[in-house]
Amino acid sequence: TPVQTDWRVNVLIIVFTEMRDKLRKWREDNHRNSEQIVDVGEELINEHASKLGDDIWIIYEQVMIAALDCSRDDLAWTCLQELKRQFPGSQRVKRLAGMRLEALEKYEDASKQYDSILQDDPTNTAARKRKISILKAQGKSAEAIRELNEYLEQFVGDQEAWHELSELYINEHDYGKAAFCLEELMMTNPHNHLYCEQYAEVKYTQGGLENLELSRKYFAQALKLNNRNMRALFGLYMSASHIAASPKVNATVKKANVKYATWATNQINRAYQVSYARCLL
Amino acid sequence: MGEVELSCLAYVKMYLHACLFPRCSVNGLLLSSSPAGGAVCVTDCVPLLHTHLPLAPITQLALTQVDVWCAQTQQRIVGYYQANACVSDSSPTPCALKIADKIAEQCNNAVLLMIDGGKMSPDYRVPPIVMYERKDTRWTLKDKHTIMLRQWEETRDIASQLLDSGDHSLLVDFDSHLDDITRDWTNQKLNAKIAELASPANDNLGVCQLGNPVLR
Repeated sequence: TPVQTDWRVNVLIIVFTEMRDKLRKWREDNHRNSEQIVDVGEELINEHASKLGDDIWIIYEQVMIAALDCSRDDLAWTCLQELKRQFPGSQRVKRLAGMRLEALEKYEDASKQYDSILQDDPTNTAARKRKISILKAQGKSAEAIRELNEYLEQFVGDQEAWHELSELYINEHDYGKAAFCLEELMMTNPHNHLYCEQYAEVKYTQGGLENLELSRKYFAQALKLNNRNMRALFGLYMSASHIAASPKVNATVKKANVKYATWATNQINRAYQVSYARCLL
Repeated sequence: MGEVELSCLAYVKMYLHACLFPRCSVNGLLLSSSPAGGAVCVTDCVPLLHTHLPLAPITQLALTQVDVWCAQTQQRIVGYYQANACVSDSSPTPCALKIADKIAEQCNNAVLLMIDGGKMSPDYRVPPIVMYERKDTRWTLKDKHTIMLRQWEETRDIASQLLDSGDHSLLVDFDSHLDDITRDWTNQKLNAKIAELASPANDNLGVCQLGNPVLR
């Protein structure tokens, strides 16, 4: 009957809009939930391509990258072909082709692809960063670090690159240089509690009384920016406790740090009590 | 040195931890509920981190909390596991050696286990793990014949099943716990699911010595 058909069509439209909106949200938030993106995106492309309009191209790109993450070369290839056909000679599509070669571990071919992009456009940051990613994938940390440093000399405002460099330094146990990168990030993002907290962790790891005191200050700063940051809370407790226990501090400093540690303990206990209560609900 | 036995529970959770964070290095602690002396029986594991493995504060915190939990539950920390993000290199990193050293201070036949990402293909026949033991002050490769996994094929199938069903996302490591403290890093829910899938123990069926994989 006509009423039944209308109802079914409405449901399909709702489902389609939901799927498209989900993909958009994940794009905007830069989520790497690749399995979900492949799930939703593949169905959207196969069943609803005609309804997507111009959105389809950015969806092909998003789904392709997610497909590479999930070893779905079949799906990645399909998306790539559609993009190649629609945007012949595009640098952006060339980069996607390079990423596919990376996923297939054909690093030399991928590198050549990025080199050809850079020949036409030496300022193409995406291609430069992909080249550095290849070094990272191959375990060539020292080279990756060197290249990333060179890149940052030119593109000093690239937050993502500074953070990547801090991670590389941490893995190489070069905490001094990691701290420097995080200092850059804190300067340009003073309200980001995560950078403060990571900086504090690096300082704590470096050790020594001066670094411990710095770490305590930055754990406290992270808490000021976000009082629910549990790592910062625990970090405050641990750094203050270590300082209080150090034979090198005078009675005043000791007393102050015992106070900080006690405050942190109370906050931690309170947080766990609240969480237990929530579990029981 | 001595024999090491790895339980289904410990293996499955370690394996799922590595699968849950395929782009990160992950690590965790190996626990035993058996008394000290004789063979090392790894009966459980606690997944710890998937970010910033070399940094000290959270690692120290986790070690303390797991210590306390072990005392309450009659378990001991007997080892450490790690899976590197870069699958082409499964050798222990300096931070792995450091933590393993610390564990060895309290447990003299502690083991260091590296998950070999390169061997984790869907149809792998042999457990993708490499174990080290401490000889003098250095960590050396253990003889494969001293490493045992009972019901290996069943264990492997349980891990695959949980991966396919998406239940691996039930796994909580210490990092995830800090992101949301209502999540349980002792993984009681996942433990129950694994126990459900495991059939009653049968001593001689499917015992796998790493040196002589049981082939069907």
